[in-house]
Order: sequence, then C-alpha cells, then structure tokens
Amino acid sequence: MRRFLRSLILGLLLGTLAGLYFGWIQFPPANRNSAISELAQRHRDDYTVMIAAGYAVDRDAAGALERLGKLEADDVSAYLRGATERIIRSSARDFDDIRLLVRLAHDLGQLTPAMQPFLELDGGDP
Amino acid sequence: MIRPDPQREETRKLAPGYFSYPVFAWSLVIGLALGLAFTRMQGPLQRSNAEPWQLRADERHHFAIAIALEHQHSGNMGRTLNKLIALRPAQHPLDALADAACALGSSGYLGSESGIKALRGAVALYSVDGRTGCAEQLLPLSATDSAPEPAVERAADAGFATPLPTKPPLRDSQGGASSRRLVPTPAAQRSFEARAARSFCDAANPALIEVHVLDYLGRGIPGQRIRVRWSDQEDIFLSGLKVDRGPSYADFQMEEGIDYAIDMPGAADPLDASLSTGACYTANRSTLKSWRITFVET
Repeated sequence: MRRFLRSLILGLLLGTLAGLYFGWIQFPPANRNSAISELAQRHRDDYTVMIAAGYAVDRDAAGALERLGKLEADDVSAYLRGATERIIRSSARDFDDIRLLVRLAHDLGQLTPAMQPFLELDGGDP
Repeated sequence: MIRPDPQREETRKLAPGYFSYPVFAWSLVIGLALGLAFTRMQGPLQRSNAEPWQLRADERHHFAIAIALEHQHSGNMGRTLNKLIALRPAQHPLDALADAACALGSSGYLGSESGIKALRGAVALYSVDGRTGCAEQLLPLSATDSAPEPAVERAADAGFATPLPTKPPLRDSQGGASSRRLVPTPAAQRSFEARAARSFCDAANPALIEVHVLDYLGRGIPGQRIRVRWSDQEDIFLSGLKVDRGPSYADFQMEEGIDYAIDMPGAADPLDASLSTGACYTANRSTLKSWRITFVET
C-alpha cells in the first residue's frame, strides 16, 4: 500500500508540475479576456497616442483623462508624464506621436524639461 | 550446502520494490492533465503582454473607439483599418467599429459630451462606406447634425487619390438578383496587401476561403481578381459576385487534404502561409475549418 501511495503521489506531483510548465511557460493559453491595462507595453503606448490624437481634435481633457483611466494607472496624469518621457528617451514613436503626447501632457499640467523642445516645435504655449 | 528454495527465490524476484512503475506512469499522466487543465482555466501567468485581439469584448469596444478618435486626427484610413484588423474582428473591420459604437452607445457612454464626440467620430468613420449601425440613432440629434465631415472628404481634401472601381458592376439580366457580371479592374492600376488571415469555424460555411478586397478607405472593391493555386492547378475568382455579401466579398470552396496558396495576380503577393482545411468544432458539431482573408489596397 505504501508503495502504491508513494508512486501515486510522486507521479501526480511531477505530472502536475510538468502540466503547469507546459500550460503556462511552453504553450501559454491565448487569453481573450484581457483588459486594456493588460496590453503589452507597445500597445499601451499606442492606445495612449490614440487618445492624445483624439485630444488634438476635440480638446476634451476630461474625456482624454477618462479614456486614459482604462490603463488603470494610480495617477493617470503621472502615467502620461512617465510614458511620454520614456517614449522621448527611447524614440519608440515617431515625432508626430511625441508631439501629440507632449501637447496633452502640457494641457494636463505635466510638462517636464524633456518635453519642452517638442512643445516649442509645436508652436509653444498657446 | 543448503540450496535456496526455488519457490522462495522466485517470490523474492517478484517482491514489490520501492516503486510501482505502472502506478507512477498513470499518476504522471493524470497529473499532467490536471496541470494543463488548471492553466487553461486560470489563463496565462503573465497578464501584462496581451495583444489587442486578446481584449475582452467591452475593452475591445473602447479600443476601437480610440482608433476612431485617432482617425479623426490623422485621416489615415490604411492605418486605421490595420489597427481595427489587429482586433481580429469576426466581420468587416468597419462593421466591428459600428458594433462597438452601438454597444457603447447603448451602455451609458453617451452620458457625457466627451462620449458623444467620440461616438460621433466613430459614426463618421464607418459611414464612409455607406455602413450604418445603431449608434447614429442613439446620438443626440444636434450631435449628429454637427458630426465631423467623413474621413473620405478629409482624404480628398488632402489630395489623396480615391480610386473608384473603373467599371461599375453590371446586373446580369439573365441571372437572378444574387449574381452580377463584372468586368475585372485592370490589376496593374492597384496594389494590395494581405492584412489579415484567420481561420474560423462555421457549420453553415465549411471549408470556405472568404476574401474581402478593400480600398484604402475601407470600401469594398468589386471585380478584383483573386487567384487560388493548389498542386498544379489554379482558379481565378472575382470579388463582388455575391450581391448579398457586399462588393468586397469573394469565396472559394476548399477540399480537405489540399494546401492552397492565395494571391491577387499582379496586384498582391501570395499569402505567406498556405491555407488548408481540417476538422473543427462549433456548437458541439464537427465541421471543416474556413479562412477569412482581407486584402487592403496599399
């Protein structure tokens, strides 16, 4: 009986570990239940740029903030500032996208020295 | 000298050891199945690297509206369509946008001026192709009246050429209402790129290659030649022949066990992967997998 239990427990343990490895690491499931906040970084940046582009058209800061809230950052304005600075540093987006982000950051009171040159190129403080 | 009892010797050989390999093997298999089942129920371990198509329905609606917002700024229909296609909609990307606008409009999104503006933008975008949804009925009248000009006009203002089908589809006087006679548009005038190829399982349309051909404003283009090749054979079919499925639509019936390559001769390179059908399951029914390909004008 002990021999049976020993084999059973060891087999179940190793099998479960192998199952977890294959299911999570080797062949992760294609989840279709994600939130916008769970997007990969580049898609979160893309979403942020899209909201900034919308803001450039409608100048609706409240709406932009509400939409950026989908990213579930603790402080949406601070998130925008951080994302814009990171994108400027890494040149992860093209110039027009950065200008859109800087304009929104400026209007939300999040302008930093790193953003200043882009704002000046964009026509400065309106 | 005492000789060992043969019966006792045999018993010792068969005596249970430390381990039972059959029990171990079976429990290993059961453990593996349990582990895999658990990961499938729990979802992925790392949840912060999702792709847009992995968004749940309500989040996908918000993402689609963000795409429409950006389109109001850029007027770049190609980029907008690419982003909508990245959501892997089950229907035409602009229809998916109309559905998203409808769903959000029905769920309190129009409670703020900001929501009204955003949906107005979405309506302007999907209306370009004459599409309609429920959002335009949900929008306040004044908002609808002052909707921004459709992107097609913006594109025209920006000096983009907006090629229209060189010859409108002709009604076949002999045929019924469901068929058209089309003159293929000269392929050299346009170039296309396969932007999306995804399989789907539909018991009503098994083993079908569905093709949609869109211009860069997202409008269906009838009369485009699509070529399917397999083994040493090929077949050409045209978009827009099935009136009830819209001007962009064309389809081809596959057979099991054959790999098909698809392209638009002289206008679009072959799709990277070959297409084949196989068993799939929908609503507890087994049927054959179909494919949906979208060629977008570049």
